Formats: sequence, structure tokens, C-alpha cells
Amino acid sequence: MEMILAVLYREFRIRTTSPVWMFFDLFMPLIYLLMFGVGLDRAMSGGVGQFGGEMSYQSFFLAGVLSMACFGIAINTSYGFFVDRENGIFYEFLTYPMTRGEFLVGKIVFNCLLAVVQSALTLSVGTLVLDIDIRWQYAWFAASGIVVGTAGWFFFLTILALRIHRNDIFNTVLNVAYFVLMFASSMFYPVDSMPAWLRTISLMNPLTWHTDVLRFATIGIGNVETIILEAVAFGVFLLVSFWFAVRTLQHAVIK
Amino acid sequence: MADEAIRTTNLTKIYKEKSKQPVHALNGLNLSVQRGEIFGLLGRNGAGKTTLLRILTTLIKPTSGSASVMGFDVQAHGAEVRNHICAVLQENALEQFLSVRDNLTTYGRFHSVPPHEREARAQRVLDQFGLTEYKNKKAMDLSGGLKRRLQVAKVFMVDKPIVFLDEATTGMDPINKRAVLESIRAQADGGRTIVLTTHILQEAEDLCDTIALIHEGRIIASGSVATIKALATSVFELSITFESMNEELLAQLKSLSPVRFEQTGNVVELCINSVDGTVLDTIAQLSRISRITHLEINGGTLEDAFVELLGVSREDTSWK
Repeated sequence: MEMILAVLYREFRIRTTSPVWMFFDLFMPLIYLLMFGVGLDRAMSGGVGQFGGEMSYQSFFLAGVLSMACFGIAINTSYGFFVDRENGIFYEFLTYPMTRGEFLVGKIVFNCLLAVVQSALTLSVGTLVLDIDIRWQYAWFAASGIVVGTAGWFFFLTILALRIHRNDIFNTVLNVAYFVLMFASSMFYPVDSMPAWLRTISLMNPLTWHTDVLRFATIGIGNVETIILEAVAFGVFLLVSFWFAVRTLQHAVIK
Repeated sequence: MADEAIRTTNLTKIYKEKSKQPVHALNGLNLSVQRGEIFGLLGRNGAGKTTLLRILTTLIKPTSGSASVMGFDVQAHGAEVRNHICAVLQENALEQFLSVRDNLTTYGRFHSVPPHEREARAQRVLDQFGLTEYKNKKAMDLSGGLKRRLQVAKVFMVDKPIVFLDEATTGMDPINKRAVLESIRAQADGGRTIVLTTHILQEAEDLCDTIALIHEGRIIASGSVATIKALATSVFELSITFESMNEELLAQLKSLSPVRFEQTGNVVELCINSVDGTVLDTIAQLSRISRITHLEINGGTLEDAFVELLGVSREDTSWK
């Protein structure tokens, strides 16, 4: 626990050295919701139909913004491996008295807390400014989804960041992967409205699972059985990613 | 052995990469480092020193053989090994976004320095390494020499029994280097085991209790500086001032196949291989060609001994 707290503290100190970083970390999803969400809401005056009902696009998009924020934080945190590697500190870290698992968990705990604060801000403004009907009684569920989502994506991206030693290749892979993952998911539009081939891909996409769980937790949209299945699937995705990430850290970290 | 800090037995590391020939970085390396000594690892670039340090600091795993640190096997008990070591690696491993002071306290936190001691230790280390005036500067804003100084300073924040220093003084100015070397000596006198690599042989000669010369993944010589020099007993450093220089003399000097040869006017400095006792005969031959007005004979330096042991020319000695 001491080592996890030490890594957490280190992440906190680094992140708070730059107000610009903090601004992006805390307010970017909110800005995205206010600009993109509201803009599309006006364009789609009929709203979004799902589960037999209609809702505003900004309500629908809220969960997409939250899952996007988790993914964004995971990207930034995993990119930190490149920065640490460039500075030489990455290899020194691996000689510190901690396990590889403690190192990874410590790195993500701070960023999960950051994601929760960021989401709370986004949800609050969503309620107060955009009049989105949020189920605050399930805030704990949403917070859990934020934490698990951020950690899952971080562990997954860690595997790529540790295996790919050139940051230009990492960026390219990430851009392509993110593009596919985002648009083949329920982040921007309901899966039911997609053509069959895209729907099939979407249903296998962890970003869809994560977004659906967050949508259910925040505005209560979704089928309970499906949500449970998606939550379990994402949990498995997180555990498998964590296992692979630790293994990757243990093997061949130096080229 | 109870007094042993580090032991390696038949340690082998082979790097395999797709479509490339395997690289044998370590070839059955055997090593024993006693507690409380300063142990110098010397060798040319690619000799295997850094690979050995990476295995001992649990960064990579050996292909075969075993290595233990403070009695803990590096593969089976990596976490225990890391509990007993701290390391300065080749890169400028610093928290670039943090201040000098925060670099020290964060390092202390990672090595379980109690919270109430961290600040006091940081201040002591800042003073010891002349970093007090930079304490609030971010590491990224420091010069190269200061960064290196800060990197070495970090290990003085903690009390781990074994310290690995990979070319710790590279990039430091002579005054700071002297201060750092004195600090390292003081740490060893206090009971810590220091394992260092350096390409500055004089530094190794001044500082190390024991030296090991690594060549092609094996230790080809080890022992005290005196022992290593004794392994190359036929090496002599000569400084000869002749009354006059001429072609015959130069030809005679060249025929000795000196390992090193420098001529400044009538003064010749050379390093030769000569079986003990015959060096005086050689000088006598030279004096018959031109009278010798001044003569100095010394046993070879550590560098001469290594040149002799490795069997390479001095121009080719890219020590690291």
C-alpha cells in the first residue's frame, strides 16, 4: 500500500505542476458536451430514440462524453510511459522496492480519482445548465463505472505503450484504434440504429460496454440484463488487460 | 558466504532479436562482491557491464546461471532484491517536471524514508552536493552536470546496503567529481557496498577496493588494483630525456613496439612490454645511441595493465 501511495503522490505532484494540464484534465469533457452535445441536439431536433422513448441528444451523449473522458485520461497516463522512458526514470522506477502491479495500480489510482472529479463536474453542469435528468441516487454506480473504465483502458493501453517503443508509432496505432473504437460503439449513436455489420462490431467493443453501463447509471437507459452482461465483460477485459500489462512490464522492458 | 553482497554463477545473457544473430552479452560470468567494498566493473563498450547491472537490479532476467544480491536470487525474489538496492543508471533519470527538492523527497518516499526524516535528509543532501541554491528549480531547467549531480545525490537520501552506480561521474566538473567520489568513499566506509562502472580508469584506481575487468561477457581479471597491475608485470612506463635525437634512435625506439609512444623534443615517454629485468638492458642499448640525461621508470598504470590484459592497442581502448 505504501508504494501505491508513493506512485499516486508522484502522479499528483507531476500533474499539479501545470495548470494547463489540470484544466484539460478537468474541463475538456464538459466543453465537449457543451459544444458538440448541444450543437447536435439542435441539429437533431427530434432527439434520439432508444428503448421506445425519445431523449435529447445531449442526454444520450452524456455517457459517451464520460467514457470518452475515461479513455482520454487512460491515453494520457499510458503516454506517460514514453515521457518516463525518455527521461530515463522509467527504468529507475523498476529498480524501486515495489512490485510491477503496485507500480501500475499506483499510476492509475490518481488518474481514476481525477476521472471521478472530472465526471462529477460534467454531470453537475449537465444537470444545472443542460437540464439533463440524472439519477443521482446511482452516483456510486456511475463513479464505479468511471473508475473501472479508466483503469481498464489504462491497463489495455499500457500493453501497447510498453510493447511499442516509438511514440510516433504508438500515436498512429492509438489514433486508428480510437477512431474505430469510438465510431463502432454506442458513444455517439444508439447501436440499434447501426447497419448490421457495424452493430456486430459495436457489440464486441469494450467501449460500447463501458458507455452502456455509464448511460444506465446516469440516465437509466438500458436493459438490466444486458447491462449486467456488459459490466461483467468489461470486468474481464480489465483483469485480462491488467495481467498482460504486468507481464509486459516483467519481460523485455529494455531494448 | 555471510560477507558476500553479490554473487553470480555461470551467468549468461543472450539477446535474441528476430532476423538478427543472437548477441551473447554475458558468457558464464562468475563474480563475488564482498559487503562494504567499492567494486569497480571495467571493460570496453559492449563488454557486458550494463547487462550485468541490469540483471543485478532486476531490470532483465538472465538466460541461464544465477545471481543473488544480499542472499536473494534476482529472479525468484526480485522484490526482496529491490528492497536492498538503489541504483544510478546511465540515463539522467530524474523527475523532470519536479523541483530538485521534490526529486529528493519523492525518491525518499519510494525508499520508505520516514516522513519526519525526509525534509532533513533532503536538506543535508542538498548541502552535501552543492544543490541548495537550485532546490526550487525544476530538474528540466538544470544543466547536464547539475542533473547528473542530482541523480547521484538521490542515492544519498536512502540507506540501502547496496548502491549501483553506472558511470555516475560522467559529465561532472572536476571539483564536483572529487566531492562525489569522497562521498562515495565515505558511504563505503560506513558499510555500504558500492558497485560502479566507469570508463575513467584513474577514478577506478583511486576509488575501488576491488576491480573486475569484463571482456566479451566474462571476467578476465579481478582483484585489488595492485593485483591487477601485478597480472601485467611486464608493463613499464618510461620517461627518457636524450642528449639528442636521431633517426637510429627513433628506429630503435619503434622496434620496441611500444604500447604508447610520445615524443616532445628530446623527451620520449613510452610504455613497453618487457620481461622483468630486461628493461634495463633495453635502456642501456638506447644510451649507446644517444646519451641519456634523465630517466624515470615506473610500473604500468591500471590503464597499461588493462591494455596488456586485453591485448589491444591504446588507441582502441574505448573504456566504458
